[in-house]
Amino acid sequence: MKFWQKIYVFSILVFVIIFIAASVMVIERSHNNMLRQEINSALSQNMSIHASVDAIVPILRIFDSIDYEKSVLTRIANEFVDKNSGQLTYLDIRDETGRVVFNNVDFQMPGGRGELDKLNASEIHWVLRDIGERTILFTSNLTDINQKSYVFTYMTDVTPVYQDRVEQYQFFIKVALAACFLYMLIMFFVSRGLTRSIDRLNRTAQVIAQGGFSERVRLKSKDEIGVLANNFNVMAAVVEDKITDLERNNEQKQRFINNFTHELKTPLTSIIGYANFLRTTKYNEELFLDGVNVIYSEGKRLESLSLKLMDLIMLQEEHSQKEMLDLGAVVAEIKPALEIMAKEKGVAIETDCEAGKLPMDPDLIKVLLFNLADNAIKASAEEQTVTIRAYWREEHYILQVIDEGIGIAKEHQDKIFEPFYMADKARTRNSNGAGLGLSICQSVASIHGAAIRITSNEDQGTTVEVDFAPLHSKGEITT
Amino acid sequence: MSKKILIVEDDIHISKIIKMNLNLVNYETTEVYDGLSALAAIKQERFDLILLDVMVPQVDGFALMENIRPHGIPVIFLTAKNSVYDKVNGLKLGADDYMVKPFEAIELLARIETVLRRYGKEERVMAFQSIQVDLDKREATKHGSPVELTPKEYELLVVLLKNKNIALSREQFLDKVWGSDYYGETRTVDMHIKSLRKKLELQEHIKTIYKMGYRLED
Repeated sequence: MKFWQKIYVFSILVFVIIFIAASVMVIERSHNNMLRQEINSALSQNMSIHASVDAIVPILRIFDSIDYEKSVLTRIANEFVDKNSGQLTYLDIRDETGRVVFNNVDFQMPGGRGELDKLNASEIHWVLRDIGERTILFTSNLTDINQKSYVFTYMTDVTPVYQDRVEQYQFFIKVALAACFLYMLIMFFVSRGLTRSIDRLNRTAQVIAQGGFSERVRLKSKDEIGVLANNFNVMAAVVEDKITDLERNNEQKQRFINNFTHELKTPLTSIIGYANFLRTTKYNEELFLDGVNVIYSEGKRLESLSLKLMDLIMLQEEHSQKEMLDLGAVVAEIKPALEIMAKEKGVAIETDCEAGKLPMDPDLIKVLLFNLADNAIKASAEEQTVTIRAYWREEHYILQVIDEGIGIAKEHQDKIFEPFYMADKARTRNSNGAGLGLSICQSVASIHGAAIRITSNEDQGTTVEVDFAPLHSKGEITT
Repeated sequence: MSKKILIVEDDIHISKIIKMNLNLVNYETTEVYDGLSALAAIKQERFDLILLDVMVPQVDGFALMENIRPHGIPVIFLTAKNSVYDKVNGLKLGADDYMVKPFEAIELLARIETVLRRYGKEERVMAFQSIQVDLDKREATKHGSPVELTPKEYELLVVLLKNKNIALSREQFLDKVWGSDYYGETRTVDMHIKSLRKKLELQEHIKTIYKMGYRLED
């Protein structure tokens, strides 16, 4: 059973029960009130007859004749009946022996009248009896006239009261049917309306379950379901972010693997190809030298690739020991090595470093400096200068490697940190590169809490900036 | 007439080694190093076959395929990727075969030959100096007069001619002539080579290569 149907059926059940119970109570109560009124008026009528008889008793005592008594009583009774004619009231007077003195009933008087057995003088007993289709109220009392008791029974037909009740019920059934129908109609829309937002939530959840992670619930209500929908949307957003993250990650890994196999297989293809050529064909000195040179240089390329990969793997493990060292001193330490590299291309190296003590792993920082300088030298032409600067900019220690070389085209700038990405494949390969240098730098920087920024204009040079974040923000200095 | 093969490969060394191997067996070659020059070359010249590296700069191999198809030139993909997806994709685009790097020269030659045969471009008559072999007639002649060869000797001669100037090992000969399910001894190859040398007077040209096998040399 659906939730809206539950609400619907349950509320209708409750409504019907309460409505019927309340109405029955109201009808019964009003019926009882009316009956009570009838009874009271019957009793008072009875008493008024009683009173009028009592008033005559002294006169009757004087005459002391049964016939006279009876005629007087009959007269009183007739007077009374005349007075109340059309009101469905009846009177019955009997003497001690049960002989009827007066009776104007238009129905069969019942036989055993239990209420008379315990009847005492000055008491009025009343009882309701169903006679035929009618309901008659019997009120009885004893009246003593000259030591003789007469039973006065005053009767009122209360059938209208009961009929009234039946009519009330008939009316009630009509009203109840109409009310129920109306209520069902209203509740149908109300319960559907209440659960429509749940339906909508449900449908969205299904869409998301089938992979539509960007689906959201559009609900504006501020009730609990609105809040739920809101939280649901927040959850969906988080899940979507996570999934795009994972997908991107996965894609990156796949690209890494593809690039890696390419970078690995290209030199291998050359090496195997040349070696096989040399061993299966007739010796030719020129071809032999060519081939052996290719085998050597491609072998070197594989070596450099494997070293770079080792660097990357080592960086990913991230268990470097950091110590407070002066970055300027580290630059000074590797400057001779860089100068040798630069000299081969006829490039000059200049350094200009402020002292800056930072927590660092000197080996990693050397790898970083070496890679950045290597890139700068490779990008430079003869007689150009590569500058390594380090200085404090407010609380940040900034390391810059600046060249005046070929620069990096805009379209490559956001991709160059990706492993194996090469802006110029041919140039990179000719210098034994594998496109891993900047990835390695990125890893080193992130281990040191530094950010790398690149500003470059084609043919004007490139500036690589390593920005070491302030110490206290990294929690290095604690009080 | 020798067949023209276009080599589209961005790595100069690989391109050159392919070219050297193809030239040995008398294919003419043109080398291009990127997609755009490949397109230009296809427009200018008529090639019998294209060797295409999937990952060339500018226009990648898969896109190049679209441009090659109208010319009806058979294509063999060269790639470092060994994934089923790439293979299926390559073959779907109309490549005739697929070579995963690194590959052996004789395997490449064999595939080129197979693809050319499928296109009916294979030379049906091969010549080596005074020897002629007619593949359709399964007949070898020297100075115009037929030479009696056993079926295996004939097939061995064809393999030698197809891989001219390239040394093949005895195992490779066994594989190519006797089939990969043949478990004979390599001495069988020696015997057949000996009789070929004798029947066709090729003592000077079928060279025994130390630690390797045999090579037919000009």
